[in-house]
Amino acid sequence: MIRIENLSKDLGEFFLRDVSLEINDGEYFMVLGPTGAGKTILLETIAGIYRADSGRIFLDEQDITDIPPRERNIGMVYQDYTLFPFLTVEENIGFGLKSRKVTKRKIKRRVDELANLMGVSHLLHRYPGTLSGGEQQRIAIARALIMEPKVLLLDEPLSALDTQTAERLRQELKNVHSIMNTTIIHVTHSFEEAFLLGSRMAVMDKGEIVQVGTPNEVFRKPESEFAAEFLGVGNLFQGESRVDNDIAGIDVDGINIVSATLKPGSVHVSIRPEDILVSTKQIVSSARNSFKGKITSILDAGTILKIAVDVGIDVPFVVAITKQSFDEMNLKTGGEVYITFKASAVHVF
Amino acid sequence: MLRKLKRSKIKIITILSSLFLALFILVLITCVVTHTTLPALITSVLSEEIQFAIKLSLATAVVSTVMCIGISIPAAYALARYDFFGKSVVNTILDAPLALPPLVAGVGLLILFGTTSFGKSLSDAGLVFVFTPLGIIIAQFFVNVPFMFRILRGTFQSINPRYEYVAETLGCTEAQAFWRVTLPMSKNGLLAGSIITWSKGIGEFGAALMVAGATRMKTETLPISLFLNMSCGELDLAIAAATILIIISLISLFVFERYGGFTRVF
Repeated sequence: MIRIENLSKDLGEFFLRDVSLEINDGEYFMVLGPTGAGKTILLETIAGIYRADSGRIFLDEQDITDIPPRERNIGMVYQDYTLFPFLTVEENIGFGLKSRKVTKRKIKRRVDELANLMGVSHLLHRYPGTLSGGEQQRIAIARALIMEPKVLLLDEPLSALDTQTAERLRQELKNVHSIMNTTIIHVTHSFEEAFLLGSRMAVMDKGEIVQVGTPNEVFRKPESEFAAEFLGVGNLFQGESRVDNDIAGIDVDGINIVSATLKPGSVHVSIRPEDILVSTKQIVSSARNSFKGKITSILDAGTILKIAVDVGIDVPFVVAITKQSFDEMNLKTGGEVYITFKASAVHVF
Repeated sequence: MLRKLKRSKIKIITILSSLFLALFILVLITCVVTHTTLPALITSVLSEEIQFAIKLSLATAVVSTVMCIGISIPAAYALARYDFFGKSVVNTILDAPLALPPLVAGVGLLILFGTTSFGKSLSDAGLVFVFTPLGIIIAQFFVNVPFMFRILRGTFQSINPRYEYVAETLGCTEAQAFWRVTLPMSKNGLLAGSIITWSKGIGEFGAALMVAGATRMKTETLPISLFLNMSCGELDLAIAAATILIIISLISLFVFERYGGFTRVF
């Protein structure tokens, strides 16, 4: 278990303020926040690269605040891979064991194991400069995992990759986590990543942790305006998708949401509140989704209003409309309305 | 093509200027190497005096380059990585020898090692710099260390410190991270710096002349030999020294462009 107590660090441009966190053994913990929130410096302080200004870090009840990185047994993987360019893939992966003075034969065996796990066995004699981003990141992960770290820190490991590669590597991170059962702290600014990988997550802003919880809790009940804003929340559902005739029908608590994303099986669905149309009468349009519901609450947020519409499922839909339309339509809590949105506005992941 | 060229006056003028400059340099070098006959050149190169000058030049330049590396690696690393009080002043001072005329540097070195109690205690300990080959080495070191320092500083700055951070999480101490990661990544800069420092060391004249003097067969490096033989009319020996200096410069330039051309010196 890793326990962080009131950790602060000021590097000028980036800083941490009074961060406290508890991460359990074997947990896949996500830290979500915008650029400049202090996510990287949080990881680097946990790894021991920076000395904390104040606060303490405990790893398995041992106070590691003042011990150097090499004695912490915490692995680090950066967004930009940081593979050593003058070493082969094999030498890169084995780098840490060489520091520990492990015999050559044993290093070779472990390198083979890890290369196999990460699917880079065929690249062992190449140099990093000649490899794709996805390949380099797999090697960076193998290089960290060979040390059997108690905690693996991932600093936006998928951000520099193209969508397809990122998706595949994300799946592999999940597999690796279930095989190795290493505690992972993964920093990201992608809400999808946080949702799909994390068993729990923290939202970070301006050097502070603003919320901790399961992804579901955080997305459904953001505790701060920042979290709500940053997560772009509202309208996140779970459902069962069936693909038929180039269109997907997703069953969410008994209602059928139509999506243009053809991904069958158990899925998450999100629809941005701005993408939903609200009307007092049913309208005929090309939009594939239309539901009748009741307004349960109205939230005034300046020029844009957010209204919650209960259509008979667990969570109400959130719809964003301008103050002007709200006034003209004469909407009231309890009033009956129709919500309409296009199949292409339904984001499935 | 030719017609197009004619239309642009500025193009013609600039290209002609570059050709003129190239020709000027070429003629100058050719003048030196063709001044004597080849057999005379070979005899001179094999003469005892020139052989001595070659050996002394090579040896002093190697030693001064090693000294430049030895001090520049830590100094350049500190200025590339850390913030400390007086950093910008230190940076400026370290660049100063570049702008200082070598003769002035030589006078300074002569005063420091010849007249101060610091110099006297060194000479009592057996380290005599004035009018000795040691003086040549210290002169080369002082004049050329900014080149090594600047190239290495640029090299270290260009290496993301995250490489060292990762190495530290992989079991390295700070020193090991530097030795196993940063230094190998600085290979090109180190090579470029060494070549430029060494070849400038070979050609160092002004400062070395002031500190070590121009004593035949004692402090006679190739440039000193060129100077001595020129002044007493031994033209063949002078040309031999000049030719060797030209060859060394051209080879160094080639190697530098090949492996270190990316590094900014100024």
